[in-house]
Amino acid sequence: MKTIIRAEGLTKKYGDFTAVDGISFEIREGESFGFLGPNGAGKTTTVRMIHCVSPVTSGILTVNGLPADIRNRALKAMTGVIPQEITLDIDLTVRENLLVFSRFFDIPRREAKSRIDELLKFVELEAKRDSKIDQLSTGMKRRLLIARALLNRPLFIVADEPTTGLDPQARHLIWQRLRQLKAQGATLILTTQYMEEAQQLCDRLVIMHGGKILKEGTPNGLIEAEIGREVVEIRTPVERDAALIADLGATACGHERVGDTLYFYCRDGHALRRRLFELDLPNTVHRPATLEDVFLKLTGRSLIE
Amino acid sequence: MNLSHRLFHVFFRNLVSYKRFVVTTFIASLIQPLFYLITFGIGMGAYMGEFGGRSYLFFLVPGVIITSVMMSATFECLYGTFVKMIHERLYDSLIATPVSAEDAIAGDIAWASFRGLISGGLMMAVAAAMGIFPVSVLSFVLLVLVMAFIGILFASLAMIVTSYAPNFDFFNYYTELVVTPMLFFSGVFFPLDNFPGWMKTLAQFMPLTHAVAIARAVYSGVYPRRVLFNVAVGLVLGLAAFVVGVRRMKKRLVK
Repeated sequence: MKTIIRAEGLTKKYGDFTAVDGISFEIREGESFGFLGPNGAGKTTTVRMIHCVSPVTSGILTVNGLPADIRNRALKAMTGVIPQEITLDIDLTVRENLLVFSRFFDIPRREAKSRIDELLKFVELEAKRDSKIDQLSTGMKRRLLIARALLNRPLFIVADEPTTGLDPQARHLIWQRLRQLKAQGATLILTTQYMEEAQQLCDRLVIMHGGKILKEGTPNGLIEAEIGREVVEIRTPVERDAALIADLGATACGHERVGDTLYFYCRDGHALRRRLFELDLPNTVHRPATLEDVFLKLTGRSLIE
Repeated sequence: MNLSHRLFHVFFRNLVSYKRFVVTTFIASLIQPLFYLITFGIGMGAYMGEFGGRSYLFFLVPGVIITSVMMSATFECLYGTFVKMIHERLYDSLIATPVSAEDAIAGDIAWASFRGLISGGLMMAVAAAMGIFPVSVLSFVLLVLVMAFIGILFASLAMIVTSYAPNFDFFNYYTELVVTPMLFFSGVFFPLDNFPGWMKTLAQFMPLTHAVAIARAVYSGVYPRRVLFNVAVGLVLGLAAFVVGVRRMKKRLVK
């Protein structure tokens, strides 16, 4: 598969503050690639450099073989952006929003009209075509942002936290639409702080923290490598840790104490569960490992502020 | 300066959104200059002698036209641009398309100039209803060109202010300390000739002084030699303000 985006030692500084600290990655055509990380990890800054609205401080960043550059209109013309904030034009109607945007890409009027009809159908907003933006729900606004991002038939789509602030129904509708695009062969670049979203949508992802990439892999690969398959949580006073670890440690592949909980990570939890059953501890949870475990293990379970 | 034809797409965007505000802005941009025409023109004009063989209204009208161009263009690039930049985050999505930050700002300046033309045009129509016209068709055409250019000048100056503005209140410094004094010391309502020397000198530093002088010359078809100086100052100032305004705003938009 062809590489669409390539970064090497990519760095972004705002004055003394380093937002992105020498990261390297490759995004291939047709894949869905995620930047996962807490607030302030540098995800948004990274994708803003990819879609050429933020200048690169140092390092290499190429998009479709060309160096990313805020002056390169050709690169912007092949990018679709679903922004984090709702940046719709509130003075215009739904259809006018798309019409005006199509002008920015110099799409001929007739062509624009047919694309707009098609896209409004795709995001199920046909009935709202003449509504003003403030008459739309947040979910509808997000869908309109998706339609807007597709107007120029982009080579790749950058979605910066596309479901932040949505209720579950609206979120699932967005996910369906993004998966549909993926099925049609679109290259998707996604930032998110929702593990479920990353697991739902990403073929590959990097976990970012403090401007650096901590790990790279597939969602399941990362879970396997970092955690195993299963997690046992035991709510128990810290004084019992030594005894429990001596007792259960051999059956697990790792353990961690956070707050009131002792976590055991295992590849195969049968032995541990049997032993746990014999110990008859209250307040235990046994569950499949998720990306969230990987994420919290790598970025630390303490609050990031 | 990364400018392209796409600045007209931004102009087009503003035009599409304008149709919802057109009536309110017509009224708003008409009221204040209309008061000037009535109070100064008719009220005070009754006590005034003739100005160079013509009525006081004929002296006043070009000044008021240019003032309304200045006001419209200025407010469009102060409040209008600020709302689009901070509240609506319009530029964020604009600069992610082939439209550059420079296109976006230049498009807004062109739009503000057009708004100024509309306001000035309304004033011209009101003056015409009062029987005051430019002296010839040529003078009318030239006046429209002057209005468009003066619109760009004041829109660009306002852009520079907006590029520094942390909030709306900041604009009061500009409107109260710069725009309002200009209104009274730039020869809109009376000639500068009888001012003391230091005030005459001060007036030369006000862009409106030059704008009014040019407009009055064009309107009356009487070109004193000094108008060349006014044109030169206007051109240099307009170009400088445009370049600085676009650069400053780009710095604010691209991070």
